[in-house]
Amino acid sequence: MKEIVVIAEHRRGELRDITWEMLCKGRQLAESAGANLNAILLGKGVNHLAEALKPKVNKVFLIEDERLESYNSETYERALVRLITERKPWLTLIGHTATGMDFAPSLAARLKMPLATDCIGIEIEGETCSVIRQLYGGKINASVSFVKQGPYMATLRPGAFPVLEKDPLPGEIVPLPSPLAAETLARRFLQYVEAAVAEVDITQADILVAVGRGIKDAENIPLVKEFADSIGGVLACSRPVVDKKWLPKGCQVGTSGKTVRPKVYIAIGISGAFQHVAGMKGAGTVIAINKDPKAPIFNVAHYGIVADLFKIVPVIKDKIKGLRKS
Amino acid sequence: MNIIVCIKRVPETTDADISIDKSGKDIDKSSLVFDLNEWDSYAIEEAILLKEKLGGTVTVISMGGEESNESLRKCLAMGADDAIRLTDPAFNGSDGFATARVLAEAVRKIPYDLILTGTQAEDDGYGQVGVVLAELLGIPHAAVVNRIEVQDKRLKVHRELEGGLEEVVEIDLPALLTIQTGINEPRYVSIMGIRKVAKKEIKSFGAPELNLKADEVGLSGSDIRLEKVFLPPVGEAAEILEGKPEEIALKVSEILRDKGGLS
Amino acid sequence: MDFELTQEQKDIQKAAREFIQGEYDKERILEWEQTHTFPRDIWKKACKLGFIGIHFPEEFGGQGYGVTENILIVEEFCRKDSGVGIALSLVDFSSELILRFGTDQQKKRYLIPVTKGEFISAGAYTEPDHGSDITLMSTTALKQGDSFLINGTKTFITNGCLADFFVVLCQTDPHAKPPYRGQCTILVDKGTKGLEATEITPKMGIRMTSTAELSFSDVRVPVSQLLGEENKGFYQVLEFFDESRIEIASQALGISQGAFDRALDYVKQRRQFGRRLVDFQITQHKLADMATKIETARLLTYKAAWNFDQKRIDPKLTSMAKMFAAKVAVEVADEAIQLLGGYGYITEYEVERFYRDAKITEIYEGTKEIQKNTIASALIGKLK
Ligand SMILES: Cc1cc2nc3c(=O)[nH]c(=O)nc-3n(C[C@H](O)[C@H](O)[C@H](O)COP(=O)(O)OP(=O)(O)OC[C@H]3O[C@@H](n4cnc5c(N)ncnc54)[C@H](O)[C@@H]3O)c2cc1C
Ligand SMILES: Cc1cc2nc3c(=O)[nH]c(=O)nc-3n(C[C@H](O)[C@H](O)[C@H](O)COP(=O)(O)OP(=O)(O)OC[C@H]3O[C@@H](n4cnc5c(N)ncnc54)[C@H](O)[C@@H]3O)c2cc1C
Repeated sequence: MKEIVVIAEHRRGELRDITWEMLCKGRQLAESAGANLNAILLGKGVNHLAEALKPKVNKVFLIEDERLESYNSETYERALVRLITERKPWLTLIGHTATGMDFAPSLAARLKMPLATDCIGIEIEGETCSVIRQLYGGKINASVSFVKQGPYMATLRPGAFPVLEKDPLPGEIVPLPSPLAAETLARRFLQYVEAAVAEVDITQADILVAVGRGIKDAENIPLVKEFADSIGGVLACSRPVVDKKWLPKGCQVGTSGKTVRPKVYIAIGISGAFQHVAGMKGAGTVIAINKDPKAPIFNVAHYGIVADLFKIVPVIKDKIKGLRKS
Repeated sequence: MNIIVCIKRVPETTDADISIDKSGKDIDKSSLVFDLNEWDSYAIEEAILLKEKLGGTVTVISMGGEESNESLRKCLAMGADDAIRLTDPAFNGSDGFATARVLAEAVRKIPYDLILTGTQAEDDGYGQVGVVLAELLGIPHAAVVNRIEVQDKRLKVHRELEGGLEEVVEIDLPALLTIQTGINEPRYVSIMGIRKVAKKEIKSFGAPELNLKADEVGLSGSDIRLEKVFLPPVGEAAEILEGKPEEIALKVSEILRDKGGLS
Repeated sequence: MDFELTQEQKDIQKAAREFIQGEYDKERILEWEQTHTFPRDIWKKACKLGFIGIHFPEEFGGQGYGVTENILIVEEFCRKDSGVGIALSLVDFSSELILRFGTDQQKKRYLIPVTKGEFISAGAYTEPDHGSDITLMSTTALKQGDSFLINGTKTFITNGCLADFFVVLCQTDPHAKPPYRGQCTILVDKGTKGLEATEITPKMGIRMTSTAELSFSDVRVPVSQLLGEENKGFYQVLEFFDESRIEIASQALGISQGAFDRALDYVKQRRQFGRRLVDFQITQHKLADMATKIETARLLTYKAAWNFDQKRIDPKLTSMAKMFAAKVAVEVADEAIQLLGGYGYITEYEVERFYRDAKITEIYEGTKEIQKNTIASALIGKLK
């Protein structure tokens, strides 16, 4: 029987959303291929996480070791190489997250296992697997196949796979001895630090006006700021705006920024890269303003305005000001 | 500190109209402007900043056709010392893994303390080349790095995690880091830089010089193959608001009132 | 024959493009335009990166390139923004006279600071009563011992209120026959007693560039400020125009391209009668005509620059390039406004400014009529 394994991602005592997303997709794949779905959990003092995973899988392989307490690519790789070599799962799923991006490629290389990264779709077709990836910042999709026979490894894009309720599986926790020896590591975890917070907390706002690289320059920020003010909204942004230091880090929405759930989210001059979308797709209503009708943001928006932001934003601002006065 | 930076020349597509080419496997690039991959521009800037502080050399390497010289020269003009281009028809169609394999053979020929790559490329978005390269070379790595502090034979680096969290790790040299945007402010190319470049030769190596066999690289050395590309289903959810700007503005205010509770 | 730019030239072009794109900021620029403000911080950065004085030799702060490289930069700057582009391309105006005729000491004293962004230069030829015809100047510089005493008025002087020094064309021998054999170019520093600059404002275009009237009232400068040989001023200026007019041609070229870029972008988006403007054949033909004109202007301008860099002086070719490129700039910017319709007439859409800025290229450094005189006299001379 084929085996599909999901490498569970967790941080600071909590399983991350991507884990549930992978398990859900993994379940569907396992059902279609008549395979077992198992999870691998590495850590220290994570029994409660193993318990949480149990109903989602056939088996949870649990390795606990002090050296696995905080994520480290080196210890992860060592533990996983051993386990995967022994078990030979047909498909290994890892999150395309800051963690997955850090260890999946080297793990696959060490195991000489074909790897497809950042998949937004994955299906099993007989003895092989095909995936969908995005190119050019999400403007184009590509269907991609594996050249060789399995086993395979794939990293899945966070937020690309829905989490659906399924009947529980008869999960079993299988503790395994740690294969890690007392050896010196070339990479050592030191600590976590929080990026500086902004004055305004964008996660608390009902209306967010988010601005992207389309704003072109710091000097144009007041244009959207005034607009945001006029509708009682708070200013947020995509990553390039922070990279260029036009707005503080605390305003950034997305995987490496904040996750927000406002009632209304207005995306202005934002293309809709998945790292951004991941942070705002929980918004009640999304309005996107972009001059490119093919911008991926229109796939997640409820309302779209195809226009030059410099022309449309002032008009909307004035109109609303006028309406609110009268 | 001797630093190697792996870079790539990519088409700029954010502001461009794009269409699928005849092969159905890529976009039509004939009218697109190309530039250094955004992540790589931060990587090269970081390398130059480190060199300016600590001395040493910066070598840039790119796998690609002759047109990659444009980006290599840009890096030289920014302040890199040497540039190497890896070109061979056999390299065409390399996936992330095969690309890393080619780069690894070139890197082995050069002494280094640190290797920097971009976290990912704007075009194929694999986000894997750097980390695979580290594995092939047998050196430690850290991905998605947004801060570097040099401490003797070690580095203290910040890795950017999700939700505004950063992970601080210590890593022994030689090491490989994949660089995240925003780590610095990439400089403009100066005319002085261009003059310096004019006197420089860009070395170029093919598969034979790198002792690579044709079946280890390119399509045949790749694990994954792109079958076809297609436009993502557009506007599934979005209702496009049309009309005069004033009419659109009115609709927006209605949406804000209905959904945002704006009176 | 080789119509390809060299690798280095392409790199310079790209560097200029990336720089001006990085600095371009419409809101800021529109404000500078309204308040007649010189883009000082962009100028300083451009100097630091070696764009200004790229055609000066290294020993005088430059980068040792030629006119071709210089005009590639001017074209890119003006393409992105006509106002900023012109302002930047004229910060070293007339410095080339020092380069060609100055002593080493003069070159060191004036050129190095120009490349470093410490000095702005100006060239003062035009007078209220002598514009196209500078064969006789009313501004006199009379030798008194070891100094010149300068009196007179110069008008329309670019950078007049900003410049740190002026190259001034003066009549030193009022009795010379013909009078242009009695002219000298003299270097006058800002702040010299008796020198006063008054801004001439408002004006149609190039509003980020200062244009001023200079009045000289018993201005005394040492004879060491004489540029080159005595009584050769007129010839020096004509020789200088042979280079500087190519730069004006490239300003015009950049403006045309910039106006075209904006128009193309617009017609691809704007819809009328249920179609995009670009779908109408009339629009397509307009675009084709504009692009063809621009390419022709480019060929002529590049050829003039290349020819100059081959150390050949050909006033006819230079004048053809200047006249033609300027005419194209005015026509293309006009058509760009037309393509944008009412929006084209509005400041925010920029093409009206490109149009206003384009017009100056048909006037300064010899009107288009004067260029034709130059071309014709070369032709007729050959016929003789
Ligand atoms: C590990 C990692 C983490 C990341 N984390 C995040 C994150 O947390 N948040 C985030 O946002 N990104 C993140 N990114 C970056 C992400 O991949 C994209 O690069 C980024 O989201 C793009 O931002 P943008 O949409 O503002 O810019 P672009 O993609 O450049 O899009 C600009 C858009 O503006 C439009 N536009 C331009 N001019 C106008 C105009 N005048 N009027 C109207 N529209 C106009 C264009 O059509 C275009 O669609 C991350 C990347 C990595 C690798
Ligand atoms: C913004 C601006 C900046 C300038 N910067 C400078 C500067 O930095 N330094 C400087 O010295 N000058 C400068 N000038 C002056 C410019 O070079 C002159 O305005 C130009 O040479 C024309 O001279 P004029 O204005 O006296 O016109 P005129 O010479 O009076 O010409 C008026 C008209 O008569 C035509 N005409 C003149 N003679 C003939 C002829 N023989 N045959 C046919 N037609 C003829 C002209 O072509 C023109 O159409 C500047 C002007 C402006 C507006």
